[in-house]
Amino acid sequence: MIVAGCDIGSLTTKVVLFDGKKILASSIIKSKPKPEDGAYEALQQACAIATVNQDTITYCVGTGYGRKRVPFANDTISEISCHTKGAFYLYPNVRTIIDIGGQDCKVISLNTQGEVDRFVTNDKCAAGTGRFLEVMAKVLKVELQELSNMAKKGNEAITLASACTVWAQADVIKYLNEGISKENIALGVCKSMAKRVGVLVNQASIKKDVCITGGVAKNTAVVKELENLLGVTIIKITNVDPQLTGALGAALFAYQKAGGK
Amino acid sequence: MRQALKQYNFDWMLWRTYEAGSRLLAGTKQEYDIALRYIPYFRDPVKEVFKAKAGQLFLQMTATYLDNIVHAHQRGKKTCMTTFCFSPAIVYALDMVPVTLELLTVMMTFLYKRGTGEFLDYCNEAGFTETSCSSQRGSMGALLADIGTPIDMVVTDSPGVCDTNANAFSFFAAYKDLPFFQLNMPPWLVEERVTEYHVQDYKALVAFLEEQSGKKLDIDRLRQILTELQKQDELINELEQFLCYRPLPLPVTTCLFIYAGRFMFAGMPIYTRLLELLVNEGRENVRLHQQGIYTSHEKSRGFFCYIDHYTHSLRLWQMLQELNIGYSGNILSHFWADSNPPVIQNNWEEAAYSIKTGTLEDMLTSIAQINSRMPMIKSIRGPYDSPYMWLQDTLALASMYRADFIVYNGTPGCRNTWGMVKLLAQDTEKAGFPTHIMYADAFDDRVQSWDATRDRFEEFLRVRRLI
Repeated sequence: MIVAGCDIGSLTTKVVLFDGKKILASSIIKSKPKPEDGAYEALQQACAIATVNQDTITYCVGTGYGRKRVPFANDTISEISCHTKGAFYLYPNVRTIIDIGGQDCKVISLNTQGEVDRFVTNDKCAAGTGRFLEVMAKVLKVELQELSNMAKKGNEAITLASACTVWAQADVIKYLNEGISKENIALGVCKSMAKRVGVLVNQASIKKDVCITGGVAKNTAVVKELENLLGVTIIKITNVDPQLTGALGAALFAYQKAGGK
Repeated sequence: MRQALKQYNFDWMLWRTYEAGSRLLAGTKQEYDIALRYIPYFRDPVKEVFKAKAGQLFLQMTATYLDNIVHAHQRGKKTCMTTFCFSPAIVYALDMVPVTLELLTVMMTFLYKRGTGEFLDYCNEAGFTETSCSSQRGSMGALLADIGTPIDMVVTDSPGVCDTNANAFSFFAAYKDLPFFQLNMPPWLVEERVTEYHVQDYKALVAFLEEQSGKKLDIDRLRQILTELQKQDELINELEQFLCYRPLPLPVTTCLFIYAGRFMFAGMPIYTRLLELLVNEGRENVRLHQQGIYTSHEKSRGFFCYIDHYTHSLRLWQMLQELNIGYSGNILSHFWADSNPPVIQNNWEEAAYSIKTGTLEDMLTSIAQINSRMPMIKSIRGPYDSPYMWLQDTLALASMYRADFIVYNGTPGCRNTWGMVKLLAQDTEKAGFPTHIMYADAFDDRVQSWDATRDRFEEFLRVRRLI
């Protein structure tokens, strides 16, 4: 039996194909203005990698902000539940999940059964989300993926005066005009991001083990700063792309709903 | 603001709409069904209100309130702009017409899909900050633009309680160069000096109102209003007993009717009739073992520790009904009379008000005390965890109503509560109430769409295993 999880986020759309034992294939693409198109494209890519026909997919669960727009979904489940499901499957000892997506940041506490105990989300603001890093990368004229490596080369982080993405952007431009190196600016950006997320994590009362999911989990500079700030080791998801955790959780739900155990 | 919106006075439009809505049930069922076809815009809010037996009277009462405003000057009465947390009883006692901004904003946002956006924005054009409270701006914008009944004076009582609220009124008074009076609130509630302060401050208010209205306070009229208020308190006490029952024997809109009615017509017979209707419905449902949510079993019950969400078509109440959630009250629906159930249960008489109608002094003391116990005025004036303040009230009411969870609805625009709500939520969680901070502007869907708000709310209910 093959099932699918499709996670339509604000920046990327992800699909995971699962057969009850392992992930058969996955895909990550940029979200489209028409979410349905993105979902189809991501599914096609994943099916091509797994060399399976879309018709063989028994059940699909949609998740993420665009979950109601997944045309081939049999059911929808929120991203909080799906990230929890996915992270617990990968690391059964995890009790706190920090999920930093493109549009928001969530901290989820879970119990020993892998059920959500509590969650907190950021206030409606781009600071502390993937969008913040994307905006800063654009100002620095680098790819988002390069930001982390650039930050690691920095040795004297700049300070961003404001938590607001728009004002922080203005600060970055000011530092560039002052001739500050991009590396030091990138380091400051990652520290600022970590600080903002740290506030939210502390609100939720952290329980070990802690893991991080979502696209920003791939920015090792932010994760390192967050570890320093919180004084805990954060599990880095290595066996699966951390950005796929929500889609994986959706696929696991799909498997259960289709009658698998 | 669009030119089209300036064609008619906004309060006149509201009055005509509510007036027509209140008469929809006057005909046959068939006529009602046909009428709904012709009012696609207002169909949903009307249907939602009519789910309660008191719905028709509620609409009539709202139409009467608007009629009073629209025709105030024609009838030789002065208009007094004020806030929801100021008891209008004294305004009625001086034969004037209260114009409560938050009520007008809610009336508008209930009805119009576009909401009050253009009026909100007009306030900013006039010089308001964009982060000021939207509950006043939603209707104040229209009055600033002169598309409403002119205001004769401004009275508020929120300084020290809610500064964004107080600033809105002082802004309007300055902008329009109107007489202005503000009652000030000390950060404590129960202390002899505070009681004395409230009474003296209130006497100065009465003098101001007398001067501005050109009328002397009629003692008999004041006594009549206070006696009516006593009657209303007794009815509210009985309703509160019903609201503690599970399943809920009253519609989920009951609390809305209770507080909106009190903000409109405290001490006036029309509000007494509404309460009587609600009490009769409650008694009947209890006798028949029926529940008021008109759906299947009440799955869980919420207490709103601040305000509700008012944007188009009463969607908050629709959602509660769809999910079979009982809703017994919020911080607005509580008025703290000394005969009120939680006051008696907890021996909180010192923090409550009592109504005495003997001498003028008795009456002025009573009405000053009533005002100082208005929602928000009572419990947001001091630190959230001080005696008789927000935390204590929230926990007492949530327990009394047998709530399973607590919800706070607001944005950083609600400065005086937003600044404390995370601490409050930590404490209510510790006390065993799952607590949801619902980030949403109750009067402006542009801040966060209702769909996104509902999504988060439902997620909270699911993950905390409340539904």
